[in-house]
Amino acid sequence: MSRFLAVEDQLARMQRDLKRALAADPKTVRWGMVIDLAKCIGCHACTVACVAENKLPPGVVYRPVLEEEAGTYPAVRRRFVPRPCLHCQNPPCTKVCPVTATYKDASGVVVVNYTRCIGCRYCLVACPYSARTSDFGDWYTRGTPEGQGVLQGQRTAAEGYEAAPAAEYGKKWPPRGKGSPIGNARKCHFCLHRVAVGMLPACVTTCIGRATIFGDRNDAESLVFEMIGSARAFQLKAELGTQPAVYYLA
Amino acid sequence: MHYRFFPLLSILAVVGLLAGSYGMVDRLWNGLNPVAFGSYVPWGLWVAFYLFFLGLSAGAFLVTILTYLLEIKPFEGIGPLSAFMVLVCLFCEMLFILLDLGTMHRAFYQFFLTPSFSSLLTWMFVLFNLMGIIYTLKTYFLVRGAIIRKAQGVPGPLAALYRLLSLGRREYDAAMQAADDRRVHRLAWISLPVGLLFYATNGAFFAILINRPIWNSALTPLLFVVAALLSGGALVAFLTYVYVDNASGLRDTLMRYLGRSILFLLSLFLVLEAMQFFVGYQTGRTDIVTSLNHITVGKGWWIFWIVHLGVGSLIPLLLLVFGGANPRSSAWACFLIFVTFVAVRYNFIIPDLAVYKLEGLEYVFRHPRLSTDYVPNLNEWLVSIWIISAGLLAFLLGTRYLPIVNAHPRGVDHAA
Repeated sequence: MSRFLAVEDQLARMQRDLKRALAADPKTVRWGMVIDLAKCIGCHACTVACVAENKLPPGVVYRPVLEEEAGTYPAVRRRFVPRPCLHCQNPPCTKVCPVTATYKDASGVVVVNYTRCIGCRYCLVACPYSARTSDFGDWYTRGTPEGQGVLQGQRTAAEGYEAAPAAEYGKKWPPRGKGSPIGNARKCHFCLHRVAVGMLPACVTTCIGRATIFGDRNDAESLVFEMIGSARAFQLKAELGTQPAVYYLA
Repeated sequence: MHYRFFPLLSILAVVGLLAGSYGMVDRLWNGLNPVAFGSYVPWGLWVAFYLFFLGLSAGAFLVTILTYLLEIKPFEGIGPLSAFMVLVCLFCEMLFILLDLGTMHRAFYQFFLTPSFSSLLTWMFVLFNLMGIIYTLKTYFLVRGAIIRKAQGVPGPLAALYRLLSLGRREYDAAMQAADDRRVHRLAWISLPVGLLFYATNGAFFAILINRPIWNSALTPLLFVVAALLSGGALVAFLTYVYVDNASGLRDTLMRYLGRSILFLLSLFLVLEAMQFFVGYQTGRTDIVTSLNHITVGKGWWIFWIVHLGVGSLIPLLLLVFGGANPRSSAWACFLIFVTFVAVRYNFIIPDLAVYKLEGLEYVFRHPRLSTDYVPNLNEWLVSIWIISAGLLAFLLGTRYLPIVNAHPRGVDHAA
């Protein structure tokens, strides 16, 4: 086969998969993700997109990209491992929550109910992947010098941006500084608010290497299903029995 | 009873409250923003202090069981004091944990609205409240007779307090005394399983976490119970020396019992701790060895070697072994053990958290909340000082103005 033949962008296929999943019986849908480590170039675009999409404050991160180095010079290799919440099917974090603020929803996504969370951080301690962070109420703009803007103060503009809440879980949250999610545990939620309206998670659409694949794990026609079946697929810390819904391709 | 320290300790407690109030206001106004811990070390000094007070309450709990369930006579003299101490420790524990919560106000209703019984934290909440109820009732029934008598005899503003606590009763005869004794005995029966479950649950709370190799061991709940009995027993022994009058030789008898028990518990604890280190290092697993190295050769090495092993273990061992039956030596040994025990709690909490659970996580983000490099900051210390001072003041006022020390007619006289 010629290597010049047109190849469909993975995003187009994932978009079709998503449309099909949203049309299917919601009880049968199980969201999943596959991350191809061979394609990840460590650009951190997914991390930045996630921060922007969910308006994450300082110290809160849902999808860092880990950098692993192996070997000694000159035989050195480096690889990048994006780490969202792995949405374990046997999650250690939900069992320890004393007020059922975090749980696995019908589609297998581990979510946090910000209006229930008491902020004990037991789930942070229980997560084997350090996939949860706590919102300690930090601000990017606090303590920074104010410059003069043309129409309004620079700080005012920046604070206005920071104070406006994200649309996490498809709900309307109070402005930042007026309650939850400050004080709560926070984590990746597969951008459920985007998925609900037919959009792929922010990290998927921004991945320039198309290393991140998202879809319904139960849909035999989906790309994510196909990739999970790959011989290269593995799960992080599989020995713990947490059964992550996020797979990696070696 | 030695009241000569009362003014000094009261002043110390008030100064502590005043100094700590800056931290308290900061904490209440700004939430958890002023603290130094973050997302990779999510629990810090306050949880260590929670465990410290948990241990102290366990020792006092043990004495109340010995006194009111097993009815070992020599302990009757410190029974009410121990019951009251359980209450004060529970009060401090509650404050430390409440202030450690990100959304503290929800703790007051969310446990009732959406409890999850798969979580050991829910069970800790249930058992903690049961302990609080049991020990409030127990302390009350232990001192009720003395309070009613005082309400009739003491003039001045204290009389109003005693009348209030008497709940309208003016007489207290032998029949009522016997009824209260029976109530206390029944409460002691209930408190045995509740207390044991409470202390064991606190150990299991950590032991069930599969990703925390040092905690995730069947040894952890046992170590917790032994640690709790050791630190709490040491405190009770020290208070016995300070509070119990020795006119009839009762204090020295108690100190002999307690001194021997503390020596046994200290030896047992050190053996268990040594086993934990031996097994941990022998596994050779990077995360376990890194955690243990945090304790032994890390930045806080002195907390382990000097504070815990030197001042808190070796010197007390020498005092207990070579001090013989000298109550003063035993009291000093016990004082050193319980004061330094917060070091054990700190070294239990922090090292397992202070290891990155995934390779490369340390290089991803440079932010104080995303680092395992944790040192308690001024705010955490000030809040701790405030809570400890509040507990100390409650204890001092209770033992000074309520008939806590030897309230029982068969105990020694309530000395002034």
